Amino acid sequence: MTRSSEAAPVKKPPSRQWRRFVRGGGIELMLLIAGILVLWSVISENIPNPSRYLPSPVSVVLSSYDVIWKGLLPNYIGQTLWRLVIGSAIGLLLGIPFGIALGLNRTVSDMFYPIMNFFQSISGIAILPIIVVWWGNSEKTVFVVILYTCFFPIAFNVLTGVRSTPMILVNALRTLGASRLRIVKDVLIPSAMPHIATGARLGIGYAWRAVIAGEMLAGRRGLGWMIFTSQDADLTAQVILGMVMIGVIWIMIDRFALRPIEADTIQRWGLVQR
Amino acid sequence: MPAKLVVEGLSHHYPDEYTGEDVHALDRVSLSVEDGEFSAVVGPSGCGKTTLLNILAGLLPHTEGSVQVDGKEVGGPGPDRGVVFQEHAILPWRTVARNIGHGLEIQGVARSEREQRVQEFVDLVGLSGFEDRYPHELSGGMKQRCALARTLCANPVVMLMDEPFAAVDAQTRITLQEELNRIAIATKKTILFITHNVDEAAFLGDRCFIFSRRPGKLKATVKINVPREKRIWKDLLSEKAYTDPRDEILRLVREEVFDDEE
Repeated sequence: MTRSSEAAPVKKPPSRQWRRFVRGGGIELMLLIAGILVLWSVISENIPNPSRYLPSPVSVVLSSYDVIWKGLLPNYIGQTLWRLVIGSAIGLLLGIPFGIALGLNRTVSDMFYPIMNFFQSISGIAILPIIVVWWGNSEKTVFVVILYTCFFPIAFNVLTGVRSTPMILVNALRTLGASRLRIVKDVLIPSAMPHIATGARLGIGYAWRAVIAGEMLAGRRGLGWMIFTSQDADLTAQVILGMVMIGVIWIMIDRFALRPIEADTIQRWGLVQR
Repeated sequence: MPAKLVVEGLSHHYPDEYTGEDVHALDRVSLSVEDGEFSAVVGPSGCGKTTLLNILAGLLPHTEGSVQVDGKEVGGPGPDRGVVFQEHAILPWRTVARNIGHGLEIQGVARSEREQRVQEFVDLVGLSGFEDRYPHELSGGMKQRCALARTLCANPVVMLMDEPFAAVDAQTRITLQEELNRIAIATKKTILFITHNVDEAAFLGDRCFIFSRRPGKLKATVKINVPREKRIWKDLLSEKAYTDPRDEILRLVREEVFDDEE
């Protein structure tokens, strides 16, 4: 047609990221978050003394001027993340070998299995009081709680992974003349890898809760400490800001660090159907 | 020809996992497999075939009798006896090439030599082009070829095979049987092949050991006098040198199965 030359400018096709965002329900999620913020604002407008009981989202951002713009918030987040990384790194370094060592011997692993399950069920918050009795309100207390919290889920999952290794794979390696060490390295550890990844993700998730709880009772600075001291100072906006940050940061850690690692180990070896 | 594998007066008992009752799995089994010979063990299910294989592999300690490979008494598992299991037991996190070379890696063979030997066996079993694939990307038949190549590549004195084709479909199975025959000729391996399938035993074996039902005893030995080079399914089915011993084995095995039902 002759009119095509004056037709409307060509519409740019939507980018891949945009299409993936839409297909993954991104729009619905955005609407849901907007809805929650609106509802929150409405409630906040209609209660007495909102700045004490429930400041609106806007006033949370505005009245947290100090922490946001003076660089205190990044500082606190950094402090909390630092504790998480160090604590869970030690937890992984100790928990993985421990779980593997227990898994090597059936009798030993049968014996430890319920004990590991027992400790796994006592959350970090439940042991915090006794740790405070032992080490007081110190940095050490915070680390011990993080370490405790992530160690058991990690070790327990690794143990489960080693125990669930198909016997036929172990036997195949034995008939190839493999030593015990070789079997651990070539069969047990790779076979337990998906469990190790899951254990790490769970353990770090628990550690994230533990570090916040730990900071409330012991230690200085950090998001947990900020929430606790803000409450003392009657700064509800900062309490809420801290809570939101805890959730948002965790989603980012999980989405961009932990999940990709877990999915990669599991999928690459075809251990689950894609 | 010297015997590579000698079993003498082998008996085995074990307590049943659930009832705790004593199970008499093998009763005074004596047999020997000569250098380069393809032997097949055939018998009804529950005749102790797999128990026999596990003892020969060293995965199960035996209570009575002796097992010798190249004149040496068998203790635990060792690289002198390669095993191909019923379910392909290759490692899902290793590529085809890395699985096949695993035995050599364990033996400490240098990388360059290893790669060369691996390629040789990749080609032999017809997996060329699939070296860098992971097992989950392969068909059932290809996985079993990979397992076979892994065992061969480690160069065992005796190769033990435990119903390796039981889990593949009928078409693939026929192909794999012909392939195994070709590979066995090419590598001159001494093989003990376990199966409950009479046709398979007669097709592959120079000699077939027929086992009775539990307690498993060596009931008869039947020789198949068809040169291994001539074993192709379409020719063999009308060959008397194949069908006669096959029918004989079938009769011997059936006696055991029907006895059981009476």
